[in-house]
Amino acid sequence: ERGRETVRCDCVTGEGSWRSLTSSSLSPQLFARLEARRCLKDIEPRLFPAHGGPEHGDVVELHGPEGTGKTELLYHLLCRCVMPTAAGGLEVEVIFVDTDYSLDMLRLVSILDRRLTHSSGAASAAAPELALRSCLSRLLVVHCSSSSQLVLTLHLLETSFLSRPGLALLLIDSISAFYWLDRSEGGGSTTKQEEKLSKCSLLLARLLRDYRITVFATCHAIRRNFAGLPASSDFARPHLCRSWQRLVKHRLLCSREQTVDSMSDSVKGDKGERRRQVFGVQYTSPSLPSQRSSSFYVSDGGVQSEF
Amino acid sequence: MVVLREGMCPGLDEDLVRDLRNADIKTVEDLVSSDTEKLAQKCSVSYKALLAIRRVLLAQHTAFPVSGADLYEELLSSTAILSSGNPSLDKLLDSGFYTGELTELSGGPGSGKSQVCFAASVHISHHLKQSVVFVDTTGGLTAGRLLQMLEAETGSREEQMEALQRIHVFRLFDVFSLLDCLYGLRAGILQQASVGGGGGSVKAVIVDSVSAVIAPVLGGKQNEGMSLMTQVGGVLKTIAKDFNIAALVTNHVTRSLSGEVQPGLGMSWSHVPRTRILLERVEAASAGCSSLRSATLIKSSRQPCNIRVEFDLQRWSRSKRGSEEMRTPEEMDSA
Repeated sequence: ERGRETVRCDCVTGEGSWRSLTSSSLSPQLFARLEARRCLKDIEPRLFPAHGGPEHGDVVELHGPEGTGKTELLYHLLCRCVMPTAAGGLEVEVIFVDTDYSLDMLRLVSILDRRLTHSSGAASAAAPELALRSCLSRLLVVHCSSSSQLVLTLHLLETSFLSRPGLALLLIDSISAFYWLDRSEGGGSTTKQEEKLSKCSLLLARLLRDYRITVFATCHAIRRNFAGLPASSDFARPHLCRSWQRLVKHRLLCSREQTVDSMSDSVKGDKGERRRQVFGVQYTSPSLPSQRSSSFYVSDGGVQSEF
Repeated sequence: MVVLREGMCPGLDEDLVRDLRNADIKTVEDLVSSDTEKLAQKCSVSYKALLAIRRVLLAQHTAFPVSGADLYEELLSSTAILSSGNPSLDKLLDSGFYTGELTELSGGPGSGKSQVCFAASVHISHHLKQSVVFVDTTGGLTAGRLLQMLEAETGSREEQMEALQRIHVFRLFDVFSLLDCLYGLRAGILQQASVGGGGGSVKAVIVDSVSAVIAPVLGGKQNEGMSLMTQVGGVLKTIAKDFNIAALVTNHVTRSLSGEVQPGLGMSWSHVPRTRILLERVEAASAGCSSLRSATLIKSSRQPCNIRVEFDLQRWSRSKRGSEEMRTPEEMDSA
């Protein structure tokens, strides 16, 4: 009985000291996170309707089957964020949660490299390696291999959110990676099957509310687009759990469009005439009626706008 | 999901585990997700101690975030490109199989999938002097064929035997054995720097074919097959990344509704390989069996898709001997 009493005492004092400690050391950070966290509304105006870019704490889902340019689009956004303002970037920090083990660092670096040399010209070409390094240092990569690990990872990342006011973007590639694993582990009950992703979503919702970070997550389509129907049809129907769907404020449906024969003068004539794959992105929002379609193609330097 | 046990981390003793269990905290996830302050009161443990336990558990069960700059640095020093031995195929692959990545060859029966796998493993073991793990799920691998290919490369019996010794063959015929084998490789053999007496570390893991063991468990309205498929993809990718190994798998083909030939195993698998190549027979004008094959790049993060090359299976090695260059795993340049 006595021992219990002391434990409780300890607990109370421990708590008290923690409170005073945090309130003094946290307030500058609190200030930072409310004021300085960069809004990513203008991350890529061509993808979103006018003045409809993602606000603080919004979740954007990139949905589409394989080979529709989701990953390239993600790299494009990543580059835009980590590049210095002088080179046309936003100069903010990014966390990349790699659940598919799909991050292709070499590809990312080659895109980044091209854009840096393109924007700087001859003036600061003296230290391209240095500029590249400083861009890459704004990126944090974390791998996870199961949805329970994803929950733990998000908890772990809370400390990063707290300590880095420059952090503005969280990329998850992909949120649907553990879909089948969870389905199978959950047995017959849908609640059980969706439990883990629900947990992730709820936690993410809290983190976004508290730290006002913007999230882009890719989601693999699990149904084939049989008849080549437009993106509004069945294949694009969301299949992840309800709590995730509630979180999503913007959806970008990625698809493959017709190949266009590009003339040698419109491209920087590397091999003359070559068929070019054009990718389409259709913006929808679950809450707003606004829509927008855009298209792009992929070159050595990453995503290029079609129009 | 990891169940809390005593001794998992300092401070987590038997009593505390029992108290936590009474408070309905059974797994690491539960502990991390719960409100530490309330939980400390409930289990009459000091807040600081519980916070420390939470921190240690988090560090133990998650991967640490790595800076992109460090990751790139590491990649530069560790990535190797393994030439397939065939110049046209190398052109398609942007000079060869990259370590850390999963490459898929798909094609119908007789399109040369297995032959490409054999030739690549012979090339890697003989010319690059690296070990190869060859997982054969169809029973199609014979030592005789490998030897035949080696004989075309070198006349020395000793060199031939050395090369054969560096190819480690696993024969298995269902998805559970495949998973068992791959997890085993990850836990055991690959951890050591080199396998067997042949010398040279394992630089390639080849599964010929992955669809032969996965396709039978798919179908119907069950999730288990899909889950097994995801697991196979996952373990192959982690092996490739963690041990800097080039993973190569083969897949069958199906036709889409519009009649187009496409790789098998469906939508969920299509995200797994980094690079996909479609192999097809080239119909020769003269009758009879032609050894001409075409390869089309259908997914890549480095090259524009739909590049198509033709090559001759019979002249796999000879076409190489013509051009004098000996490809070795090159260090990546930053370009």
